[in-house]
Amino acid sequence: MLAVESLVAGYGRHRLARLGRLEVGPGQAALLLGPSGSGKTTLLLAIAGLADVLEGTVRIDGVDVAGLRGAARDRFRGRAIGFVFQDLHLIAGLSTLDNVLLAPFAIGARQDRRRALALLEELGLAARARRPAETLSRGEAQRAAIARAMLLEPKLILADEPTASLDDETCRRVADLLGRAAAETGAALVIATHDLRLRERFEVCVSAEPVGAQAPVS
Amino acid sequence: MNRVKLIGAFIRRRPLTWGFHALTLALGVAVLTAVLALNAGLSGRFQRDLGGIDLVVGAKGSPLQLIMSAVFQLDQPTGNIPLPVVRMLAGNRLVQRAVPVSLGDNVGGFRIVGTSTQYPQIYDARLAAGRWWSAPMEAVVGAQANRSLRFSVGQAFVGDHGLARGGETHRDSPYRVVGVLAPTGAVIDRLVLTDTASVWKVHERETLEHLQALNAGKPPDPNDINRSPGGREVTAVLVKYRSAMGALMLPRYVAAMPNLQAASPAVETAHLTTLLGTGAEVLRAFAVGLLALSAVGFFVALYAAVSQRRRELALLRTLGARPSLLFALVTLEGLALGLTGGVAGIALGRAAAVFAAHAASRGGGPSLPLPPIGGPDLMVLAGALLLSLLAALAPGFVAYRTRPAAALGAG
Repeated sequence: MLAVESLVAGYGRHRLARLGRLEVGPGQAALLLGPSGSGKTTLLLAIAGLADVLEGTVRIDGVDVAGLRGAARDRFRGRAIGFVFQDLHLIAGLSTLDNVLLAPFAIGARQDRRRALALLEELGLAARARRPAETLSRGEAQRAAIARAMLLEPKLILADEPTASLDDETCRRVADLLGRAAAETGAALVIATHDLRLRERFEVCVSAEPVGAQAPVS
Repeated sequence: MNRVKLIGAFIRRRPLTWGFHALTLALGVAVLTAVLALNAGLSGRFQRDLGGIDLVVGAKGSPLQLIMSAVFQLDQPTGNIPLPVVRMLAGNRLVQRAVPVSLGDNVGGFRIVGTSTQYPQIYDARLAAGRWWSAPMEAVVGAQANRSLRFSVGQAFVGDHGLARGGETHRDSPYRVVGVLAPTGAVIDRLVLTDTASVWKVHERETLEHLQALNAGKPPDPNDINRSPGGREVTAVLVKYRSAMGALMLPRYVAAMPNLQAASPAVETAHLTTLLGTGAEVLRAFAVGLLALSAVGFFVALYAAVSQRRRELALLRTLGARPSLLFALVTLEGLALGLTGGVAGIALGRAAAVFAAHAASRGGGPSLPLPPIGGPDLMVLAGALLLSLLAALAPGFVAYRTRPAAALGAG
C-alpha cells in the first residue's frame, strides 16, 4: 500500500510539484489528476525514488523510499513498483516475452518464464510472446507492459497517462485492465492523468499542484 | 533475458552502422596482423635459408646481389669465379665447410644448381625417394619443385638456358632424376640439384669457344688463379667458419684476391630487412591510423546510440536497473563490436598474408612460412578490445547518468 503525506517533489533545489495527502490500500486505485505540466510525472517519479522527495514522506508498504540509498533504492523500485507509460512500452529487437522478463532482469531476480507466459496469455498476447516487440500494435505493446508491471507482484503500480490519445472504448478497456491488474496482484494503483474520462471509473482522486499554486484537493 | 540478448537487440536494430564500424576496425587489425605474419614469415625464411652459411664468396659486384643469387636463389649471379678458389677455401684451416654453387640453367622455372653433396647438409635435407647423385648429369629434385615438375626417379629431362623459363633448351645434355627430396621449408625445396661437373658438361662447348676468343694470342700463365684448367668455374662458394677467428680473418683474405668478393649474409639480410622494414613501418603506421579512426567512429556511434536510446535506458531505470547496468550495457556493446571487428580482422589479415605469400612463391619468390596464429595476433586483438573499451567509456558514462525524469519529459 501507498501513503503520501505533504509531498513536494523536484530535483535538487527545484521544487516542481506538490501532493497533499494520498493513501491507497492493496487492490485499490487512485487518480492523480492535473493538466499537462502540473508535475504529475515528477510526483510519480518521486514516489518511485527517481526524483527527489524535497518535503513530506512517501511510504510504500511501510518503507520510506527516500531513505533508501543507491542500489537498495533501485532494487526496491524494481521489486515493489510496476510502471506503465503512455507510449514507452517495449524495447524493439527483443521478443515480447523477453520484454516482460526485463523486469526481473533489471534487478537480477529470478526470471519466471512460466508466469510471464501465463500473464501474456491472460492479456490475450499468447500468440505474440515470441514475436519481436516492434511487430506488436500499440495496444498490444501496452498490454505487454502491463503484464511486465504485474510480473513481480508489486505493492504499487504507477501508470503515467496510460489512456492519453485513446478512443473511449479503448480507454475504458485499459482502465479495466489496470484496475484488474492491481486487484489481482493486490497492488495499490495510482494513475497520473489529465484524462477526465477516467473519473467515471475511479473514485479516489487527488490533484498534482505545481509548486506555488494552491489548488484544492478534490 | 540477459545482457547479451539486450545488446544483440540494440546491435540488430542498426546493422549497417555497426557493420560499417566493425569493418573499419577489422581493416586496421587486418593490415597489422598481415604485416606481422609476413614479417615473421620473411625473417623465418631468412633464418632457414641462411642455415649455417657465414660467408659467401663470389665474383665482384653488389654484395646484396651475391647473397640474393647464391643463397636465396632470387637474383642473377654477379659472375663466376675460378674453381681453384673452392679448393683454396676448403683447404683453409679457418673453414669448416666450403660448398660450391653453380648456376646457369633451369627446368620449368626451377633453378638447376650444380654443387657438392654438402649443399643438402646445410639444410638437413633428407631424401623422400631415390638416392643422392654420384656422377655428372644425375639430379635430385627439391620437394616444392617436384610438386609442379612431377618427376619420378629414373626420369630424364633437359634444362633450359638461363635462370627463368623460356631459354634455349640444352637438348644434347639430358639429366636423369636419381632422387627426390623431402620438404625442408628452405630454399632447397625450390631447386634441382646436380653435380658441379654437370653444369660444366652442359656448357662445355660454349665455354670453350668463349675462352678461346678471350685468350687468343696470350701465353698461358700457370700462376693466374683466374685461369683454371679448362676454364672450370663456379658461381659462388658458401662458407661456414670453423671458429669465430674465421669471421675476423677470412673476409680480408678474400678481399685481397683479385676479382673476388666476400659477402656476409647476416650483414646483407639485416640491410635488406631495414629496406623492407621501411615499407612495413609505413603499413603499420597506416594500420594504427585506421585503428584510431575506427575508435573515434565507435565513440561517435555509441554516443549517438546512447542518446537515441535515452527513453529505453530510462525505462530500464524505472524497472529497477542500476546505473552501473546501463554503463555495462554500453561498454559491453563496445567490446562486442571490438571482438567482432578484431576476430574478423585477424581472419582477413591472415587470408591476405596467405594470399601474398602464395603470390610471392608463385612468382618465383620464396615461399614464406607464416607462423601459426598466436601471441602477436592476440596482442593485436587485445589492443582492439582496449580501444573499443576506451571509446565506450564516455558514452557509457552518459548512459550511467541517464535521468529518467528528463527522458520521460518531466523536467
